[in-house]
Amino acid sequence: MESDGDEEAATTPATGGAPPAGRLKGRPELSVDDDMREMAKTAAWSVSSCKPGNGVASLRDDNLDTYWQSDGAQPHLVNIQFQKKVQLQLLVLYVDFKLDESYTPSKISVRAGDGFHNLKEIKTVELSKPVGWVHISLSGADPRETFIHTFMLQISVLSNHLNGRDTHIRQIKIYGPRLNHVPHQPFHFTSREFITYSTVR
Amino acid sequence: MQASAEGAAGSGGGSGGRAHAEAAQRTATDKREKVPSGATGHYLLGLIYRYTGRMEAAAEQFVQALTLDPLLWAAYEELCMLGVAEDANECFSEATALRLQKEHTSTSSLEKSNFVNENRFLSSNVSASLSDIIPKQIKQLHANTTAEVSGYPHVRTTALHVQNGAPSNLSQFDTPSPTISQTSCIAPPPLFRNTHAYQNTTGANAPSKPKVNAANLTLRRKYLDEAGLKKVSGRLFNQSSDSVPRRSARLSRDTTINSNSNIAMFGGNGADQLSGNRYHVVDEMWTDNVAATSSSASIVDGKFSEQDKAERVLSQDSKLAIGIRELLALLRTLGEGYRLSCSFKCQEALEVYRKLPEPQFNTGWVLCQVGKAYFELVNYLEADHFFELAHRLSPCTLEGMDIYSTVLYHLNEEMRLSYLAQELVSIDRLSPQAWCAVGNCFALRKDHETALKNFQRAVQLDSRVAYAHTLCGHEYSALEDYENSIKLYRCALQVDERHYNAWYGLGVVYLRQEKFEFAEHHFRRAFLINPCSSVLMCYLGMALHALKRSGDALEMMDKAIFADKKNPLPKYQKALILLGLQKYPEALDELERLKEIAPHESSMYALMGKIYKQINVLDKAVFCFGIALDLKPPAADVAIIKSAMEKVHLPDELMDDDDL
Repeated sequence: MESDGDEEAATTPATGGAPPAGRLKGRPELSVDDDMREMAKTAAWSVSSCKPGNGVASLRDDNLDTYWQSDGAQPHLVNIQFQKKVQLQLLVLYVDFKLDESYTPSKISVRAGDGFHNLKEIKTVELSKPVGWVHISLSGADPRETFIHTFMLQISVLSNHLNGRDTHIRQIKIYGPRLNHVPHQPFHFTSREFITYSTVR
Repeated sequence: MQASAEGAAGSGGGSGGRAHAEAAQRTATDKREKVPSGATGHYLLGLIYRYTGRMEAAAEQFVQALTLDPLLWAAYEELCMLGVAEDANECFSEATALRLQKEHTSTSSLEKSNFVNENRFLSSNVSASLSDIIPKQIKQLHANTTAEVSGYPHVRTTALHVQNGAPSNLSQFDTPSPTISQTSCIAPPPLFRNTHAYQNTTGANAPSKPKVNAANLTLRRKYLDEAGLKKVSGRLFNQSSDSVPRRSARLSRDTTINSNSNIAMFGGNGADQLSGNRYHVVDEMWTDNVAATSSSASIVDGKFSEQDKAERVLSQDSKLAIGIRELLALLRTLGEGYRLSCSFKCQEALEVYRKLPEPQFNTGWVLCQVGKAYFELVNYLEADHFFELAHRLSPCTLEGMDIYSTVLYHLNEEMRLSYLAQELVSIDRLSPQAWCAVGNCFALRKDHETALKNFQRAVQLDSRVAYAHTLCGHEYSALEDYENSIKLYRCALQVDERHYNAWYGLGVVYLRQEKFEFAEHHFRRAFLINPCSSVLMCYLGMALHALKRSGDALEMMDKAIFADKKNPLPKYQKALILLGLQKYPEALDELERLKEIAPHESSMYALMGKIYKQINVLDKAVFCFGIALDLKPPAADVAIIKSAMEKVHLPDELMDDDDL
């Protein structure tokens, strides 16, 4: 289930068991379904390396002018650790080839697991001169796999455009399903009649 | 001294000076048990006790205030909010009417005797033109003076009543002296509309009083405002109008005014009075000091016969009685209605409010109360209707508009809610209700962080509005920040222990955190406060079900279903419980009944599908799942339903509880 609009034909063969993805280009606006919400506000973010002044905080500051710049050997890693097991559906990155050129990531691998010791790759994407928000869906083909349940997510930048060494990423957001505002229900309520009576405010 | 004590109490009302304020107030009231301010003094003391959390002492003080002055509506209001008010019929009863009447008639007789006494204190600086002054005025005048001087307990209301009881042959009079009224101005549009009293006779009766020598006398107006006495010196007027300074009551008059340049103006009240009303011209003299007053009194006394006075007093008394009865009747209805709605006996409250005469019913305050009652009954459509009417009739009243915004939130009326919010902010940027409405707007669009910010503004503006705290708590809860939400709900409860929304909020948080006993306890508290809300009953049932007390849970659900037929939630929950108890046919029955009320609910079909699968009616199961998917549930549900559909044809597969 690709959630990205523009794609070129998939050419990359699968590597290491992860399904192939098309080359993503990025969209100018962030478009997320209403039934999803940002999940990583209370998560612990860390990076494998960074240049002073362009640290991990720039990934979460809602400012597209600031960016994280890595400063070490590839692959560059962004680790997101949640306080409890969460359901995740969508990963969105903001990258800009026009501004960053050789710093723009080209191959990204997304891994999930309980911790550093048992991360498993769930997705690999290739980017092709992306400008804007790149939406990477974390769902599988099966409807049962709409969400991944995980404690930790790791975004690994395997290579950059023009074979650059370090990478720039300007913003990362992670989305999951909204909480049902009536606790302990098997299903969400959809109709007006139910929703009106569903809570006391 | 009294004024200063009250001022001290008022200014010392902040958290720092409360003890000081209390001490000051207490000394003030101890020393002067009988002063008019006794009632308002007790009221103030009661407020202080309430703000510091000492509810029984507060209730005591309010009761005292009411005993001293039965017309102090604000004290009755506070008692209702504390939940300990006695029946309005008792409070504003016939006995009270008689008592009030007696006090005022006794006052008038006192005045009569005072006339005699003060004869001696005449000074001679009263001009002879005073001869035209009718004894009526003098009485009022005297009433004022007496009020000032002797501190007679009810002379102010007396003066008020005296004037209101003025006989209708007031062709040469007009409305009385500015009285110092005890009635608190917080009340709903009260009524001292003793229309008989102020009948205008024709303009032909326009008096042609000689101009009084303005140089000698100055006017004095005294009226009680909330903090204390304020003296305002007006101008002497002849052939001019006047109006009662009582802020809470407006005597309606339809007299004509004989134009005159010296129109007396009152402090704040005069302006609107003047523009609206026309007064019959009269001579009124107001003296600046006792001596002058007494002198005028004595002069008049000399001029008019006792007989005359007695006559007037008598007719005045009967008017007085009528006036008092009317007022008390109104207060009785309003009080009863308010007391019932504060104790959440909403249906009865509505019946009481409906007994009001039409012009009284169609006022902002009453309509807001009616709307609020419907809101507590979870009848949002009616509530919407009444609040809208209230808002249209009095667009600048912001009390109760926060509840209105919640009603619109529940009805999902985004546009109207945002319009209301903008309107309220433009009316008064510094009112907490406006920001509550704005916050509700954002909450409706699921932007919980902005909503939280707005609710925090509301809290900042007035931390004594419990609802603002509760709304903050709801937003924290939506953001899954349970610690903070618990904190905010507790703040709300600190302000008002009977705020059932906060109890409910706490219950929901504990339910999510799976602390089911706590959840049940809090829902039960909420339910005990507001026993007519079907949603509360439903949640209590859910908590009981989580505690595995299924019998109690089902009972609760049945109660909820009975309380409000239109509420689909208890039926749905009942079906869930029955499913848990594996009573599949009953569960299906319940859902079939639910279909009639809410035919387009995805979760209902999904649940039906699940039950059919359990009883192995597979084709129906798939059918139901199909409908559920068609109704566009959110992605999470789509996943569950789709996987359930796949599993339907594989009954051998081990199903985990997770999916279905």
